[in-house]
Amino acid sequence: MVSKKSCLREPLIIRTPEGLYCPKAQAHIDPWRPVDCALITHAHADHARTGSRLYHCALGGEGILKKRLGEHDIQTHAYGEVFILGDVKVSFHPAGHILGSAQIRVDDGNSVWVITGDYKRVSDPTCQLFEPVPCDVLITEATFALPIYRWPSMDQVMDRLFSWWDHHVRNHRTPVLLCYSLGKAQRIMAEISSRSDRSVLVHNAVANLNIEYEQQGIELCQWERATESQKSISSDLIIAPPQVADSGFLKRFRPTELAMASGWMQVRGVRRRSTINQGFVVSDHADWDGLIRTIKDSGASQVYATHGETRVFTRYLNDCLHINAERLETAFGIEAGTDQ
Amino acid sequence: MNFVALFQALDTSQSTNSKRDALITFIRESDPLESALAVEALTDRARGKRLKPSALKQTAYLAFGGDRWLFEECYSAVGDLSETLAILFADQEKSPEITQPVLADWIQSQEELGRLELEELANELLPLLKAYSKDEAFLFLKLSSGGFRVGVNKGLVHDAVAQAVSMDRAVIEERLMGGFIADVDWLRRLQSPVTQDELDARPLPFLLANPLIENDLNSLDPSTVLVEYKWDGIRAQLIKTRETIRLWSRGDHDITGQFPDIVDAATTLPSQLILDGEILAGSPDQLLSFSDLQTRLNRKRITHNLLKTHPVFFRAYDVLRRDGEDIREKPLIYRKEILATLAVTQSPVSFPNTPEQIAAMRESAREVSAEGVIIKRRESPYVSGRRVGHWWKWKLDPMTADCVLIYAQAGHGRRASLHSDYTLACWTSDGNLVPVAKAYSGLTDAELKAMDRWIRKHTVQKFGPVRQVEPQQVFEIGFEGITRSTRHKSGLALRFPRILRWRQDVGANDADRLTHFETLMRDSHAV
Repeated sequence: MVSKKSCLREPLIIRTPEGLYCPKAQAHIDPWRPVDCALITHAHADHARTGSRLYHCALGGEGILKKRLGEHDIQTHAYGEVFILGDVKVSFHPAGHILGSAQIRVDDGNSVWVITGDYKRVSDPTCQLFEPVPCDVLITEATFALPIYRWPSMDQVMDRLFSWWDHHVRNHRTPVLLCYSLGKAQRIMAEISSRSDRSVLVHNAVANLNIEYEQQGIELCQWERATESQKSISSDLIIAPPQVADSGFLKRFRPTELAMASGWMQVRGVRRRSTINQGFVVSDHADWDGLIRTIKDSGASQVYATHGETRVFTRYLNDCLHINAERLETAFGIEAGTDQ
Repeated sequence: MNFVALFQALDTSQSTNSKRDALITFIRESDPLESALAVEALTDRARGKRLKPSALKQTAYLAFGGDRWLFEECYSAVGDLSETLAILFADQEKSPEITQPVLADWIQSQEELGRLELEELANELLPLLKAYSKDEAFLFLKLSSGGFRVGVNKGLVHDAVAQAVSMDRAVIEERLMGGFIADVDWLRRLQSPVTQDELDARPLPFLLANPLIENDLNSLDPSTVLVEYKWDGIRAQLIKTRETIRLWSRGDHDITGQFPDIVDAATTLPSQLILDGEILAGSPDQLLSFSDLQTRLNRKRITHNLLKTHPVFFRAYDVLRRDGEDIREKPLIYRKEILATLAVTQSPVSFPNTPEQIAAMRESAREVSAEGVIIKRRESPYVSGRRVGHWWKWKLDPMTADCVLIYAQAGHGRRASLHSDYTLACWTSDGNLVPVAKAYSGLTDAELKAMDRWIRKHTVQKFGPVRQVEPQQVFEIGFEGITRSTRHKSGLALRFPRILRWRQDVGANDADRLTHFETLMRDSHAV
């Protein structure tokens, strides 16, 4: 995977059928098949899969991981804490993606490699801010690696969300915000809480994770399970995962007005193709500027891009920033429309 | 409320009722000039492009320095040039102005920009966009390019205008036609009485045919209808007043300037006359193709030479006004009799006795280079729009072929980022696939989504936004004609190709061969 030219030493991370693998640590990173030892960047389904013997994750991510995987042997590590696996030093560093998300740093004394996992560079009240980690080789995500993806501030988004919410309540419709139930939902609830005393109704998938977030001391807005609420139009915002748009879940709140919170909402056509009327541009991934900044901050001389717009991104890094960059096919990420 | 607020309301709703309500509120409450310009844009009456797409691209290239490819990637992901620029260059933190009128200022600034040299224009446009919110920049650019689609059709806008002033929609549609003037008085003008001179000069809403459905033919009494060919040209009204002769298209555009030869030929006609007919290339005895007609369109100057190589003529179907009298309420056969007294080329009419005779006339359409037939009730009045029960169109079946998908590309507009633009191929005698058509539509949304997933998984190679896929999927395409072409690798050009069906039951090896097209071409050129 790594040519002699781009990295003089033996690669610290290679790709195996099970996923990214560090031979010197005898550990896989976010493996997509069961392995002996798995280092997990975060608990989203495409990164944390069940069946491995032992899991390592960042402190704070354990509870969610258990909810996702069931009972497994999980070891947690504080951000920055260095632990030895085989012949290398391993540490977790904040990725700013969701609660307990981490970049993974691997150091064998000769070179330092960092696997970012999914990350964003803007602040999020539900998780620790991304910390740049200097390294020789950076393995990064590239979900939104196009200049059209520049995120507006949360102030702007929340202003628009509140006026949309109020508008539809005035017109006797229940406002429904569809978003990923792990991370995005809690981030929006925390943003609501810091700006108002509004309350929301949530789908059970969201509720179960809310409990975990609150146990970790994260302040969310007032919420209640939607299933326990009256059958009527609601003036509280409903927060639910996108899958419920076509299910019976929303029936009791009719008439409803659907909105989606996702980075993909940046493009009008993506929303217009769906049955969703309104889009809010909120993403837990780095935008174009965030990605470029991260590459520069890392000081890496070699970059691998794992998922998303890897073709555009590696071309840009090579041609325009003169940083060696290659694509690295992985099973991370899902097609457009299911932003995580 | 201004145009930006109207757009936001239209864009975030999928219900026709709430769109209509938003339009009515807008027309009633906004500044009259703002609503006039909005109606002009939304009903596709705005004239020409104030900023060309090339100017918008030049602006983006300037901002991207040497990395034009990166802009092209952005454009391909967004699928709309105006939106791409808005996303890239507008101030995302800004909230748009939604009360004060914007359109008059926008149009003025677009006209000023349009007069600049390309490079200077790009230099000016960029800071302008940075001062706008995303919605404003998007609308500003969309509006500059003439064509404007935001999920409302002309009929809905006419409906809203009618309701806003509490008038009948048919009356409103009539009064909006014939050179809509977007000024502060537009609503007052719509509501005031009309003079005879104005009536004489104004085109009337076109009567459109509905597609004939199987049942229609059985329930139709042949002795109550007449049949004529459906000619493949440009539908238009020829209007002769005491002073002028004008041609108006179905889209309510004055196209007189393109066709001086038709104007010349019409000088002998009586004045205060409105004819409905078709502009065709060639002569009544020797029709030329639609592509010959197209070479006459959108020209700055109609040269002498062009008039000779690409002559046109007007073939009349109907007469709507005669001696200043509106005769649309009279039965069709009466109007046809009047038409017969006029010295103008007419469409041959047949009075069938049996359904078989109608079918036979349709079969003969290809021989006379017509698209099919129109069946009209003999007693039908000339009403406006696509009303049921008066006229039916029965087109020839398209020619068809089974083709293999070889390339796919993301679509535009509503289909942005879905791979919906297909390049389809057929087999050559030596067993290679050669592209024969690009087709964009014809699949359901669910099929498009399923195909999009398949395409992403079976991509062999990417050329920028274009994906070469494994040659496995077969689609039946329909098309209206074949001509030889030196521009295409296959040596063929298909007219109006579109996907009819996804042939999941056919393997790639069983798709059609190039010889199939050769045969179709020979058969269709019997004339």
